[in-house]
Amino acid sequence: MDKQQEYVLRSVEERDIRFIRLWFTDVLGVLKSVAIAPAELENAFSEGIGFDGSAVEGLTRVYEADMLALPDPSTFQILPWRGARQGAARMFCDIATPDGEPALSDPRQVLKRTLDKASAQGFTFYTHPEIEFYLLEKPEPGQAPKPVDRAGYFDNVPRGTAHNFRREAITMLESMGISVEFSHHEAGPGQNEIDLRYADALSMADNIMTFRTVVKEVALEQGVFASFMPKPLFDAPGSGMHTHMSLFEGDRNAFYEAGADHNLSPVARQFIAGLLKYAPEITAITNQYVNSYKRLWGGAEAPSYVCWGSNNRSALVRIPVHKPGKGQSTRVEYRAMDSAANPYLAFSVLLAAGLKGIEDGLELPEGAEDDVWELSDAERKAMGYEPLPASLSDAIQAMERSELVAETLGERVFDFVLRNKRAEWEAYRAQVTPYELEQYLPVL
Amino acid sequence: MADTTRALDLIGQIEAVTGATLDDPANALSYLADPDAGLLQLLRVAEAARDAGLLADLVALRDSEAGARLGVVLGGSLALGDFLVRHPEYIADFAAWPRGQSFTAVDARAVLLEAVGADPASDAPVATVTGEAGIAALRIAYRRQLMRVAAEDLFHATPPAIFPEVGAALADLAGAALEAGLAVARADLPTHTHTRLAIMGMGKCGGRELNYVSDVDVIFAAEPAGDATEEQSLKAATRLAAAASRACDRPGAEPPLWQVDANLRPEGKDGALVRNLASHQAYYERWAESWEFQALLKARPIAGDREIGERYVEAMQPMVWTAVERDGFVEGAQAMRRRVEEHVPAEVADRQIKLGAGGLRDVEFTVQLLQLVHGRHDESLRSRTTLTALKALRDGGYVGRPDAAKMDRSYRQLRVWEHRLQLRKLQRTHLMPEDEDGRRALARASGFATLEYMDEVWHDIRRDVRAMHLEMFYRPILPMVASLSADEASLDDAAARARLAAVGFDDAQAAQRHIAALTEGVSRRAAIQRQLLPAMIGWFAQGAEPDAGLLAFRTLSEKLADAQWYLKLLRDSSAAAQRLARLLSTSAYVTDALLASAESIPWLDNDADLAPRSKERMWAEADAILRRSDDAEQCITALRGLRRRELARVASADVLGLITPVEAAASVSDSADVLIEGALRIAAAEVAAEAGLDALPVRFLVVAMGRYGGSEMGYTSDADVQFVWDGSHPEGQKLAVKVAQRVRKLLQSVSSQPGLEIDADLRPEGRNGPLARSLASCAEYYGRWSDPWEAQALLRARPCAGDQELAAAFVAMIDGVRYPPSLPDGALRQMRTLKARMESERLPRGVDPRRHLKLGPGGLSDVEWSVQRLQLEHGHEYPALRTTRTLEGLDAATREGLIDAADAAVLAEAWRLATDLRGAIALRGRTRDRDVLPGDSRELGVLAEILSLRLSGAQLSDLYGRVTRRSRAVTERVFFGWESDQ
Repeated sequence: MDKQQEYVLRSVEERDIRFIRLWFTDVLGVLKSVAIAPAELENAFSEGIGFDGSAVEGLTRVYEADMLALPDPSTFQILPWRGARQGAARMFCDIATPDGEPALSDPRQVLKRTLDKASAQGFTFYTHPEIEFYLLEKPEPGQAPKPVDRAGYFDNVPRGTAHNFRREAITMLESMGISVEFSHHEAGPGQNEIDLRYADALSMADNIMTFRTVVKEVALEQGVFASFMPKPLFDAPGSGMHTHMSLFEGDRNAFYEAGADHNLSPVARQFIAGLLKYAPEITAITNQYVNSYKRLWGGAEAPSYVCWGSNNRSALVRIPVHKPGKGQSTRVEYRAMDSAANPYLAFSVLLAAGLKGIEDGLELPEGAEDDVWELSDAERKAMGYEPLPASLSDAIQAMERSELVAETLGERVFDFVLRNKRAEWEAYRAQVTPYELEQYLPVL
Repeated sequence: MADTTRALDLIGQIEAVTGATLDDPANALSYLADPDAGLLQLLRVAEAARDAGLLADLVALRDSEAGARLGVVLGGSLALGDFLVRHPEYIADFAAWPRGQSFTAVDARAVLLEAVGADPASDAPVATVTGEAGIAALRIAYRRQLMRVAAEDLFHATPPAIFPEVGAALADLAGAALEAGLAVARADLPTHTHTRLAIMGMGKCGGRELNYVSDVDVIFAAEPAGDATEEQSLKAATRLAAAASRACDRPGAEPPLWQVDANLRPEGKDGALVRNLASHQAYYERWAESWEFQALLKARPIAGDREIGERYVEAMQPMVWTAVERDGFVEGAQAMRRRVEEHVPAEVADRQIKLGAGGLRDVEFTVQLLQLVHGRHDESLRSRTTLTALKALRDGGYVGRPDAAKMDRSYRQLRVWEHRLQLRKLQRTHLMPEDEDGRRALARASGFATLEYMDEVWHDIRRDVRAMHLEMFYRPILPMVASLSADEASLDDAAARARLAAVGFDDAQAAQRHIAALTEGVSRRAAIQRQLLPAMIGWFAQGAEPDAGLLAFRTLSEKLADAQWYLKLLRDSSAAAQRLARLLSTSAYVTDALLASAESIPWLDNDADLAPRSKERMWAEADAILRRSDDAEQCITALRGLRRRELARVASADVLGLITPVEAAASVSDSADVLIEGALRIAAAEVAAEAGLDALPVRFLVVAMGRYGGSEMGYTSDADVQFVWDGSHPEGQKLAVKVAQRVRKLLQSVSSQPGLEIDADLRPEGRNGPLARSLASCAEYYGRWSDPWEAQALLRARPCAGDQELAAAFVAMIDGVRYPPSLPDGALRQMRTLKARMESERLPRGVDPRRHLKLGPGGLSDVEWSVQRLQLEHGHEYPALRTTRTLEGLDAATREGLIDAADAAVLAEAWRLATDLRGAIALRGRTRDRDVLPGDSRELGVLAEILSLRLSGAQLSDLYGRVTRRSRAVTERVFFGWESDQ
């Protein structure tokens, strides 16, 4: 028993915790939870808690294999919405096989493995996501979603639900040790954005999973409904998760070089070149749902073409301008990812793409100055701006051929994700949508 | 002396410089390790003394013990001679050391601190001699003390006796140098008061058994002092740590002492130089690897803040002593040791005193491992010093007295050699010199009368030390009654179980029972087992399933209780014993084979006996069997026994990695050929006799089909065949069917020797067709049935037994069918459809297709169909394609440019891996379903072990997934012709 585990046991006793939720994430990024009583905790640390391993394999389960959830004591947190007394707490878990080897199907392990690769080259990977989501009235079956307000970008809504909501959510996040950088009302009605303060990618992925839970819990408490669906409203912007990334060598930002073009070091330029080269094949991971492509191709600042630019809001990769002398905050922003991605896998493929760029010494193409949306198809083609996949089906096809994604996820997770996504696409294709009925039924 | 004239000349010069005569120089010189160099150094020292006006100091040493000490120092260490040339004022030191007082009485810390003008009584002494001057002062003071240690060490009559004191003094000196370095650093850094920095010695320095020159391994830990913040503390401590290191290892007017190496710290080179205690602790709790705990065993505060240093030790030690509870700790440590050994360049491996086989690291490693295994419960074992720990292990009964004594002796001697080599030029070296002069100087410096004698001792030590690891580690596991002598250590039950469990036995209690059963009693057998077992246990522990190996060994030994040769072989051939241990702990198939036929065991001693027999040689033996006897029963039993024996041979060679699985499969197919040929001869004679004929009146042929036709048969596969006959005898068809039935019966009937299942379902019309068919009828059938898949089955048809002429005629006939001038319309489409249907229908329910080696995507069938498609299409045009073997066909297609070389490589890799895995699963012998890759990662790890792949189970699974994913993509293009839309 190490000190951290002892600390957890002590806290559980002192705080009168009645349940400990062991959290882990399946390949689709859905949070799974096993609750155990405090009496089982010691055993959970030493032996792990057994469960049916197919739970991590997403919807198309093949295997019935026993697995172990091994709680990571450094992620222990009291769940604030359960009340301070007799409450509940949570820990994230690593998934292992019964003989203690890391499970191949555990997304958290995928990210750990990829971070190890970066660390072998002396890099630490930091991320900082801007998470967008909608606050809606409680959904009624068969009804279109109704946003809680009609406000827009940065609007201050007096006594608005969203305002209270954000204050409450942020308080709760901070109480769980998740620092919030920034929050505001977004462009869509009822749409909000909360930016998390940058952290190492593993902590951040854990934080995002916690974040989604907290936001949903707070919404329920306030009688509304929060959704991370990439594009819930046909006529309003989708919910993206623009992600800022940087690599550090020890204490030094490896992306920064004073005086260079955009102050970008060669490492940064190669990293971006890697992101651009592999963007189409990682899209099925960063934008994993049928619905994701309605955001990606729905205009309104969603990046649909592979290019980069400084402060260009139509580019896939943007270099935010930082204040002079703030070289440490040099970073690149990947704008395609949406709020429904599995953060463990998405961070893994983004990092892997960037590292591959560095490894192969890729050349960064010319940056884009124009609003890419305003260009004609011919202009875009001439300038070499490739489109991202137009649908989940296209994205799956691009991913199927990707050695990079296979190698990063491991063959097992790679296979699970593809199976899940093919099944999703087939189920979607079989639908007859209200749009079709409206368009065709009267006239055909 | 190499050159007497030169020596006399030097002596003359020395006398001229000093104005004094040397009495009996020949006798004096005989004590020097390197008399030539010693004389020359003496001349240089004398010149320096003269120039400095200090000749009197030198002359005063004449004819005294102090003078003799100066002599041995000059003869043993060029570097210390150079020091005196630089600083003749310290010649007088030799006379100043109190007589009868050893260097152990010196407080090195005080001496070095005073040299830089710091107060030794202070907790954080600050130098008053600072900067470059301070650094020079500390280095000179260090070397004066070093000279004193060396003088006594070199002068000692039996250097191994004084080694522990020397090692301790050197470690204390190193600590004192860092302490003085810190004092100098503090003088330059006013913020030093923000921090309390402790320097932990690791490795040999931590163990107080340091060399004359080696990197001094350290770790820095700091806590804030007074009101300082954590940040201020770490900032100041980092600068202090770096400056103290620099004081010892950066070039300067007075040469540097040694490198300070802080790479054992958390995260190694990438980690922060200094951490606080909590951060150290957190690292070891969460991230540290097994070997890091092994390193931590040596941690000792050597300089800086005492209290912080002690708190560090207090926090870390519990983790050291529980590290062995980590999964696979011992295994990991042993693997690490092997890796280090493999990294020693081959050209110097024989001269390595430290890292080579039988070198110092072997002693240290064995002692540390035993400490870690037993120190958890027995605190008396927790010493940092190798020899002290060895003594504690002996006193506690964990290792035998004779072993401990041998180890102690060896270790001291190796260290003395190392010291002498390093002293010469104060260089870090662990290599026995190559040239004779160098070795001679070493022999003289370490008290060996002749070079030959030293070489002999060196050779013995290496052999002993190497053998001792297994002995010391495993011998005491044997029960008390099994001790070889009264001095032997024997662990109590709990300690023995701990040791067995630590090396990977799942059921240590059962293992103990087996060991007891094997070794108890007064029989000669038990006596030999007691000799053998310690090493065998170690080898079982390296295998995939130690428990199964030990159990099988017990069963085998009991079965062969009366066989004199068995234990004698294992005792006299450690190669055979080691191989037997590997086979028994890895492969249930081979274990069964060995239990069934003990005559195979002697092969393990000889690679030539393990080499697969050629088909000709097997047939010569079969032929002799058939000639010797007319008794059908007796003959077929002997032939089946022959095949069983050859399978055991091939399987053993396969598991031991002497042949590839593809070679093994070819040999397995050969032995089936021979058996079928023999059975056919018996059957033909019997059927003819029953019909009242002298000989069978028709020609008869057995054709191997499928994987057997491709000579790719598995150990336990059925033989796919069809029977063909030719002739004009009216009863021909009837007789032929009788022969075929008889062959089948001979091969499949129950008997003391294993049979061979015959599967004739691939014949024309399958099960509905006659068991044997005439050549003409076959030709007619294949001519009538133009379905390409029938032709595809013929691609792998290979006559394997029977009439040669008929074989040639049959091949000529089917070549027209299987290599058609052009494929009929729609044939390709039909093949593809068939394959696609097979993929969905033939796979057993409930099996993950991706784990199915034969029918899964990218598996054997994908590769084989891809190759067969090319053979069908182009075999007519390119005769090179006409082979029944998959890889040969693929190679030929690549050479003829029918398939892209990169695609072919992908297919070949997948086919090989799947074939290897099928073979490994059969050898493993644990599952009936040989076509499905197991899901259990431990089982996969065993397969990797059988295949000698250095992969974990998870990695193997990942590898198979990757290889077959790629091969599937190629199949989709090459076989199915699906265009990729890129």
